[in-house]
Amino acid sequence: MARPTPTKRVLLVDDNAVVRFFVRQLLESQPDFEISGEAENGSDAVEKAEKLKPDLIILDLIMPVMNGLDAAPLLKKLLPDTLIILFTQQEGSEVERMAQAAGIDAVVSKSQAASELVLKAQALLASIEPEHDPAKFRNAS
Amino acid sequence: MTSASPSIKYPHWQREFDAAVREGDPQSLRQRVDAAEAALFLRLQALAGSAGGHAELQAISDAMRTLRAIQKEKLGYPGLNKG
Repeated sequence: MARPTPTKRVLLVDDNAVVRFFVRQLLESQPDFEISGEAENGSDAVEKAEKLKPDLIILDLIMPVMNGLDAAPLLKKLLPDTLIILFTQQEGSEVERMAQAAGIDAVVSKSQAASELVLKAQALLASIEPEHDPAKFRNAS
Repeated sequence: MTSASPSIKYPHWQREFDAAVREGDPQSLRQRVDAAEAALFLRLQALAGSAGGHAELQAISDAMRTLRAIQKEKLGYPGLNKG
């Protein structure tokens, strides 16, 4: 019998393996996230997102091949319901403005990773949950 | 006087950063920049929970700006279209 999945599938996109490892540890310490894949740049992210269909994409800004701002509109076009958090070392209203224009749902500074990223991801996912499937976020015992 | 190099003010990341800035071999540059970026990122996480460290945060911000310039100018990372 199919069980409702209690976890949200996350695609991590960052060119730095240490950052990906750190974020993976951070999210996997929470019961409501499952890392479904990792990508090293925006182009790789588009390819993997199409296959993995994640609920949430954590997207770096500065990357080789294709940066986060160029990848975000492609990801949104491909998966309109997937949430995107721009996870960046750049801060400020200019980045916020560019992120919003690219269809990104939230911006989290890398300097606040431990405290902000999980909370922001949970809040974003909870904000869309009631319209989709309220049972999904509940951990079936 | 300690035996540590007096020029290392920020031991958690400065060696990695200096190595990236000094790297002359294009084949090794990406690896050096990644190592410096990782060291800065991990240091930021450590500093996030502490009250002080303003001078170091400014130094980290400057170092990141330098790494971004290297990524763009020497490693060919795409720039941001601010349109």
